[in-house]
Amino acid sequence: MTAIDYDVELRRAGAYAPGGWRRVLFLAQRHVLGAAGLVIMTLFVFTAVFADFIARYDPLTIDAARALGRPSLSHWMGTDSFGRDVFSRIIHGARISLAVGIGSTALGGTIGVIVGLTSGYLSGWVDLVFQRVSDVLQALPLLVLALIMTAALGPSLPNVIIAIAIPLIPTVSRVIRANTLALRELPFIEAAKSIGMSEVRIALRHVLPNTLAPLIVLATAQLGSTILTEASLSFLGLGIPEPYPSWGRMLSESAAEYVRTAPWLVIFPGIAISLAVFGANLFGDALRDILDPRQRG
Amino acid sequence: MRSVRALAATAALSLLAFSTITLAGEPKQGGILRMYHRDSPGNASIHEGATYSLNVPFMPVFNNLVIYKQDVAQNSMDTIVPELAESWAWVNDNKTLTFKLRAGVKWHDGKPFTSADVKCTFDMLMGKSQQKFRQNPRKSWYEQVNDVSTNGDLEVSFNLKRPQPSLLALLASGYTPVYPCHVSPGDMRTHPIGTGPFKFVEFKANESIKLTRNPDYWRKGRPYLDGIEFTIIPNRSTAILAFVAGKFDMTFPTEVSIPLLKDVKSQAPNAVCVVEPNNVATNIIVNSSAPPFDNIDIRRAMALSLDRKAFISIMFEGQGDVGGTMEPAPAGLWAMPKEMLESIPGYGPDITANREQAKKLMQKAGYGPDKHLAVKVSTRNIPVYRDPAVILIDQLKSIYIDGELDVVETANWFPKIARKDYMLGLNLTGNAVDDPDQSFYENYSCGSERNYTNYCNKEIEKLFDVQSQETDLNKRKKLVWDIDKKLQEDVARPIIFHARTGSCWQPYVKGVTVMSNSSYNGYRYEDVWMDK
Amino acid sequence: MFAYLVRRLFLMLVTLFGISVVIFFLLRIVPGNIVDILFAAAGYVDPADKASLEKELGIDQPLVVQYWHWISGFLRGDFGYSYVSEKPALQEILPRIPITARLAGLALLFSASIGIPLGVISAVKQGTRLDYALRVVSLSGLSLPSFWLGLLILTASVAMFGQMPIFNPNPATWLEAFATYAVPAAAVGFRSAALTMRITRSSMLEVLRQDYIRTARAKGASDAAVNYQHALKNAILPVITVIGIEAAFLIGGLIVTETVFNIPGVARFLVEAIRWRDYPIVQNLVMLIAIVVVSANFIVDMLYAVFDPRIRFTD
Repeated sequence: MTAIDYDVELRRAGAYAPGGWRRVLFLAQRHVLGAAGLVIMTLFVFTAVFADFIARYDPLTIDAARALGRPSLSHWMGTDSFGRDVFSRIIHGARISLAVGIGSTALGGTIGVIVGLTSGYLSGWVDLVFQRVSDVLQALPLLVLALIMTAALGPSLPNVIIAIAIPLIPTVSRVIRANTLALRELPFIEAAKSIGMSEVRIALRHVLPNTLAPLIVLATAQLGSTILTEASLSFLGLGIPEPYPSWGRMLSESAAEYVRTAPWLVIFPGIAISLAVFGANLFGDALRDILDPRQRG
Repeated sequence: MRSVRALAATAALSLLAFSTITLAGEPKQGGILRMYHRDSPGNASIHEGATYSLNVPFMPVFNNLVIYKQDVAQNSMDTIVPELAESWAWVNDNKTLTFKLRAGVKWHDGKPFTSADVKCTFDMLMGKSQQKFRQNPRKSWYEQVNDVSTNGDLEVSFNLKRPQPSLLALLASGYTPVYPCHVSPGDMRTHPIGTGPFKFVEFKANESIKLTRNPDYWRKGRPYLDGIEFTIIPNRSTAILAFVAGKFDMTFPTEVSIPLLKDVKSQAPNAVCVVEPNNVATNIIVNSSAPPFDNIDIRRAMALSLDRKAFISIMFEGQGDVGGTMEPAPAGLWAMPKEMLESIPGYGPDITANREQAKKLMQKAGYGPDKHLAVKVSTRNIPVYRDPAVILIDQLKSIYIDGELDVVETANWFPKIARKDYMLGLNLTGNAVDDPDQSFYENYSCGSERNYTNYCNKEIEKLFDVQSQETDLNKRKKLVWDIDKKLQEDVARPIIFHARTGSCWQPYVKGVTVMSNSSYNGYRYEDVWMDK
Repeated sequence: MFAYLVRRLFLMLVTLFGISVVIFFLLRIVPGNIVDILFAAAGYVDPADKASLEKELGIDQPLVVQYWHWISGFLRGDFGYSYVSEKPALQEILPRIPITARLAGLALLFSASIGIPLGVISAVKQGTRLDYALRVVSLSGLSLPSFWLGLLILTASVAMFGQMPIFNPNPATWLEAFATYAVPAAAVGFRSAALTMRITRSSMLEVLRQDYIRTARAKGASDAAVNYQHALKNAILPVITVIGIEAAFLIGGLIVTETVFNIPGVARFLVEAIRWRDYPIVQNLVMLIAIVVVSANFIVDMLYAVFDPRIRFTD
């Protein structure tokens, strides 16, 4: 369905050769903001992957002599109260934000898909139970749930990922379930059934691929908000512990004390978070436009 | 010519004298002092807590038998003055301490104060009464007290097992108010009744604490203020911004960090700020009952790796002190002389040499450049704990130790330490009074509840008792120095540094003295007034 | 319709029961309890004192007994006593609710009054520079961490005016009361305004594509009439739904904003209570929040059912 819609668009725009660079270029022109988001996201991922080569100093090494240096040629974003290079910490922080963003989205997404698919496909009491559980999770405020989860699990990277992933599950499973329900009624599924395909196979071969588009849209939309949730948790003292350079932690209580004597400690990590989330949101918007035309705006 | 100059000088001098008089002025009555509070204390009962978050707002509600003079920064035996007592005397070979009590003092609810209240308070602290505190953290202070006896309504005696001159110092702490007999411990937690200059009005958790002037205060003309209002603001930067914007007359005492102090000075140049040591020592608790720190070589290597100056430079921009258990001079009364301190391993000025020595010890224990020792450094999830732990981990790298920070929530900290489920812990120890009895027994004696490491050395324990009974101050000091040195050499609980912190108030606030060797004793606030 | 209503009501109760179980056991999984914290504050641990305190508070009893104790009390309106302040939990919770409610209400007002008009403009001017600019602004609104924004606002206002908006529990004038809430509400509302704007925009666009709008245009109705009379009216339902959902989502933003601006509302109180393991406060408060959220969802569903006949009365 979605692919057909593409081609209509492409033809309408005079791009007769689908695929290849022309297509990319066309999409970039059609979705300037999305392209900008993609550039930011690529930069973000690139930074995270090659942090060791980009960062000019070790992000953890402490040097009292360099403490609270202003931004300069040797330290582009200054140094913090421990004398650590802020630029290097932000570069390495991209890794943590990305790990939290992708990790929790993937974890929440995967469980959400399994739950949604089973729920929508099996119906009956399984569906009823899953639905009630997701009702329960959705009625609890996300940050409160994450707060209690991190308190229960203890602050560490995997635990923060789990704590942020769990509240995502109901959101994802709802969307997948709705899609599965709609797909089940469609003729091609009926056809598959009539030729004696097993239920599991139908679910995996036919239903799942067709729920992929809304899933991708949802996942990119969630990516930004998971990064923000991690930052909020860190701000409240429950995120990823020191000395790891998480952006949220860099902005938390101790750094805020320097807001006027050393504003670079507060401004740069804030910009880093905002930019990454902004990129993810721009990209997510464009993806939604492309993949989910019903919601196009 | 000479006479002209003399005349001018006299004129200038008298002008100066005159202006200081007008500046100082006569204390004015009235006004409500607005202060922010750094966090919400669990309850309002000083005896049931061990944080100065309790002392600051609730010390003004009470009186002690005796108290450190509130306008002298350095607490010592010489600055102890009577409060609910009118006088005191050591009798019976220094084994009985007798107080004559003030007559006509009334509790805030109108009932008269008598010797029975004093007996009640200390019986409860010693765990001898029917009514019990829910928690009693300073029970060990009264280990040497046999009993408290009364003689009529206005005399009370502490009968000791052996002489203990320091008992008077403990009684003068802000931690030792006299409670009324007729109010239950539970009520004291929610609505404290005292004899002090201010009456308790209300305490809204996480929001505010309000005190109002006690019009029937026994000291005539005091307090000057109509009341004190504490607004609870846990977020430090918000709190300081509010102070700078003039929303508060005073910061929470000794809670302004050195970087924030610079900020205050630049934003509110008129504000009066002082920086004083607060007798809080940042130290490492070492689990010597399990590998790897059951090995004394590794313990010593760790002690040798410390660059205390670097800690102080990062945490306090240089404004902190190096010392042993007792608070360093000049503010501290019991500090070792400098040469003695520097002779302790790890305290020497040559860090590189120390670390070379530490590396040799590590190699002896089987570690080296190719085989690092992995260590967890546990600490509480609070910046003043976390920040030095981060520095410690960085410094341990220099001697083949790879440290990892293990951040523990407040709720889990003591259970974890008690379970011995840690290798190294970064800890803060605040000393209620600058007194060896208080710090030695509490932190290093076998079986003490606050001896988190369970360090137990019977020989040193004997020395604790010897110094405790010594009435000659100079002799006692020498004993204390030797003990302190030995404790450091044993790596019992290595002290990293002693903090200094800032307190600020608006220029019109008068009569505030910040204590320089304790952060628990200086908050009666009956002499504070506002020149507005 | 009636059967549907009953069924939904029943499911709502099931959900609430589920929430009570989840929050109760989740809190017990979190290591450490109030007694540990009290002893941490007292700086020592004494097993005997600890045991007697646990007994006093009833947290030594089997979990099922504790749960029954709590939930039966909750149903009777007896919320128990706060472990920390030793005052009735209800007395601690109730006075804080209006503070947060005012803040949330103002934030939602801010969100709606900025988000809806901008969303409509953006949709009507789809594809123009103005549309792009508005979309970028709204997306950046969604991208700023609200505590960072709050900190910057506080710092800037002290630097520029030597003043800062800090909570005043007893404002003298109406204006002062407004000032107390307006800035923090704007800090939270900025983010939800961005969300509202996006939803309004896409909802408007969808309606503008509908046949009856084309018909209206073909009949010669003016652009303004079409946009505002016909389209907005029909686009508003999803927007209201989203604003309703936002109210629940807002709690997260309120927690950090109440922390930064030091507002003694219920959101920050909840975080403090979690930190103190003050079970009576956390459990009852979370239940109250859940009741609000679940009923809001219920009402929205009912409204939908009434207004949009296309919705089938099934689950």
